[in-house]
Amino acid sequence: MPGPAAVFAGSRDSWVARALEPLTPLLSFAMVLAVWSLVCLSGIVSDSVFPPPWQAWEAAVELYQTGVLASDFAASISRAAIGFAIGATLGIATGLLTGRTALFSLLLNPFLRVMRPIPAIALVPVAIVWFGIGEGSKYFLISYTVFLTVWFNTHHGMEYVPDIYIRASRCLGAPRWREFCTVTIPAAAPHILGGIRLGVALALLSLVAAELSGATSGIGYRLQEARQYIRTDRMFALLIELGLLGAGLDWIVNQIGRRIVHWEQA
Amino acid sequence: MSGRVEIQDLSISFHGRGGATQALAPTNLTLEPGTFTALIGPSGCGKSTILNAVAGFIAPTAGKILIDGKRIGGPNPGVGVIFQQYALFPWLTALSNVKFALKRLSLPKGEMESRAMDCLAEVGLADAGGKYPGQLSGGMKQRVAIARTLAGEPGVLLMDEPFGALDAQTRLSMHELLLRIWDRRKATILFVTHDVDEALALADIVHVMASAPGRVIATHVLDAPRPRAASKFDTTFPGLRESILGLLRPAVSTQ
Ligand SMILES: Nc1ncnc2c1ncn2[C@@H]1O[C@H](COP(=O)(O)OP(=O)(O)OP(=O)(O)O)[C@@H](O)[C@H]1O
Ligand SMILES: [Mg+2]
Repeated sequence: MPGPAAVFAGSRDSWVARALEPLTPLLSFAMVLAVWSLVCLSGIVSDSVFPPPWQAWEAAVELYQTGVLASDFAASISRAAIGFAIGATLGIATGLLTGRTALFSLLLNPFLRVMRPIPAIALVPVAIVWFGIGEGSKYFLISYTVFLTVWFNTHHGMEYVPDIYIRASRCLGAPRWREFCTVTIPAAAPHILGGIRLGVALALLSLVAAELSGATSGIGYRLQEARQYIRTDRMFALLIELGLLGAGLDWIVNQIGRRIVHWEQA
Repeated sequence: MSGRVEIQDLSISFHGRGGATQALAPTNLTLEPGTFTALIGPSGCGKSTILNAVAGFIAPTAGKILIDGKRIGGPNPGVGVIFQQYALFPWLTALSNVKFALKRLSLPKGEMESRAMDCLAEVGLADAGGKYPGQLSGGMKQRVAIARTLAGEPGVLLMDEPFGALDAQTRLSMHELLLRIWDRRKATILFVTHDVDEALALADIVHVMASAPGRVIATHVLDAPRPRAASKFDTTFPGLRESILGLLRPAVSTQ
């Protein structure tokens, strides 16, 4: 049992941190905004190159009022969602099949080692040739990158299921299909979830890569358009929107994941 | 009575980078139905290897293992295993872990539920059915694991240092629990330990092993009634504790 001294030392250290905990996101944004404003007010950079927060805000309001903000958001999110759904479903299914097969494991690793480093943006030309500049090439690009990473993580999760679970299952008389569904898959679930989180981040990445060239809507397209008019205030507004979108999606996936993989709490 | 284990000329070698190493030299052991056998020996002498072979996790290099006259061909529910690391499924509640073992009996839903509850009650955890393994202490986890294995009603129970990770007090209460359950179920138990007192408190027969290569070097029959208090081992088994410790000591110090 820890003595009272240890208990108090521990709680005193964390008292301030704990009181501030719920406010930390606000504080951190306030700090960044303050520094950003000060840099702009000091006049060392021109507003047209590095616009202050209030100009970015005005640009965001303008985008909102013209309705572009909502339509871009809808276009981007539906591309990301469809591409992600296709890629993640195929990735999990493939990983479940390959992860427990020794032959696949041997053949797969060299292949993945070469495929994974190819950045999504490098695939844009191929995607456009194959699927045109419509939605098809976006779905392809997003689902491909998501597929690869979800497959990889699922495969490894299935490959490294602790032997002791399999042994326990077998000497309790579970047939193979029950072992697969109720032991192997849950044991690999934390890895699969890790792959899905990475997949969400990659979906956003390849979404923007796809929209920057050959699109007529979406957040990435709007960024590209802002470049043509040299509207840095818009760019900043759109970049912040992307950041918030990514953080929000990750939060949602994390919340859902924690409920599914409830036993794996740090 | 079933649960007779015959280990005949069993030897096991592992193939590593440096060629094959013999983990177990040809060994013969017979476990009579309903008896409690302890294997004791220094680390690396092949205790787990024997147990894993009986469990069907590893194949004999030579020789064979018969259970009730039938050669084993892999893990099967007639042979229950209790692991030192518990091996509970953390994604299932304690009750569902126990039910996992009952699934193969294809019982009606209500009966499966009540049987699983009975098994938990037998290890004193009637109230913990809804808890996940992560919410249980080490001793409680091992009791759930015992309940889970017993639910399948194996004739042979293999235990590999099952209480090795528990504190002395918890270990004593686990001994009581195990003896009580064994008394009721009369399974054949093969129990691996490196604690002499644990072997003396529990077993009918103790096989002492030595390493390089793994083999049995001494066998002692313990016929004193149970429970046996550790404080009275000197009078219950005169000189035995020291003799076994003497066999273990040189092997440990040459490592
Ligand atoms: N999978 C394996 N591959 C190669 N060698 C192994 C393997 N398993 C065990 N061995 C070797 O076989 C020998 C016996 O191992 P075993 O695990 O049976 O020992 P043990 O008596 O259970 O020891 P401990 O008390 O430490 O658990 C050891 O020398 C070990 O290194
Ligand atoms: Mg061992």
